[in-house]
Amino acid sequence: MKAAPTLDGRIRIDIESKLDWMIMQAIPHDAHAAGVDLADRLGDALDDDDSVSDWEEFVLPELRQSFSSQLECIEKVLESLDEDAPEPIFIVKDEAEIWYGGLNQARLALEDRYHFDGDDPEVMTPGKRTAWFRAQFYQTLQSLLLEFLMRD
Amino acid sequence: MSETDTVTLESTSLDVPWNVVVHDDPVNLMDYVTLVFVKVFGYSQVRATKLMMEVHQAGRSVVWTGARERAELYTQQLQGFQLKTSMEKSGD
Repeated sequence: MKAAPTLDGRIRIDIESKLDWMIMQAIPHDAHAAGVDLADRLGDALDDDDSVSDWEEFVLPELRQSFSSQLECIEKVLESLDEDAPEPIFIVKDEAEIWYGGLNQARLALEDRYHFDGDDPEVMTPGKRTAWFRAQFYQTLQSLLLEFLMRD
Repeated sequence: MSETDTVTLESTSLDVPWNVVVHDDPVNLMDYVTLVFVKVFGYSQVRATKLMMEVHQAGRSVVWTGARERAELYTQQLQGFQLKTSMEKSGD
């Protein structure tokens, strides 16, 4: 997999192997897995009863819709690619927040499930280690988006 | 208690400022949190970075204080950027 900024102000991702393809497909899968409701978790810190009630009625549905649409956009891009000979993915400035948010959801869900806590990947179970590597890749992509597309 | 006293107390209660509090989490990148503070509040890079560091080091930071309605709006916006955010009455 190669991911890098282009001269015309986009991020280009080249999927070079079946493994790369699986990792890209894992973004929405990881975000959906483990039954984690990110929107709901964001309200955990609210403790005033009135605020919680209003938040659940008015804010939570909007957050769910927003986070869900981020993943739908990423899924749509991935579905448009030929699995046997995928073309490069180009992320433009206007889509950077969508990709960043989708990757964040995937990382939050992985962290919630595996609690990496700075553990040494050498001593992780195989499942946790592969999840850790995916989380690292997602974070690298996020850093690229942040550095090259999201800052004014 | 007289009616006048009651009205005065209600008025005072409505004026209590609210804090918008951002909480630390293990996933959000430090630069991203700073960027969100700049975008949402229009803070300078220096101020936004200082607040981000407070979130990171103290586990939470009061990032804005003021009227409840505005605090609710900011809380919703910050949560839309996937930051764990809550509100509390200032002075609690």
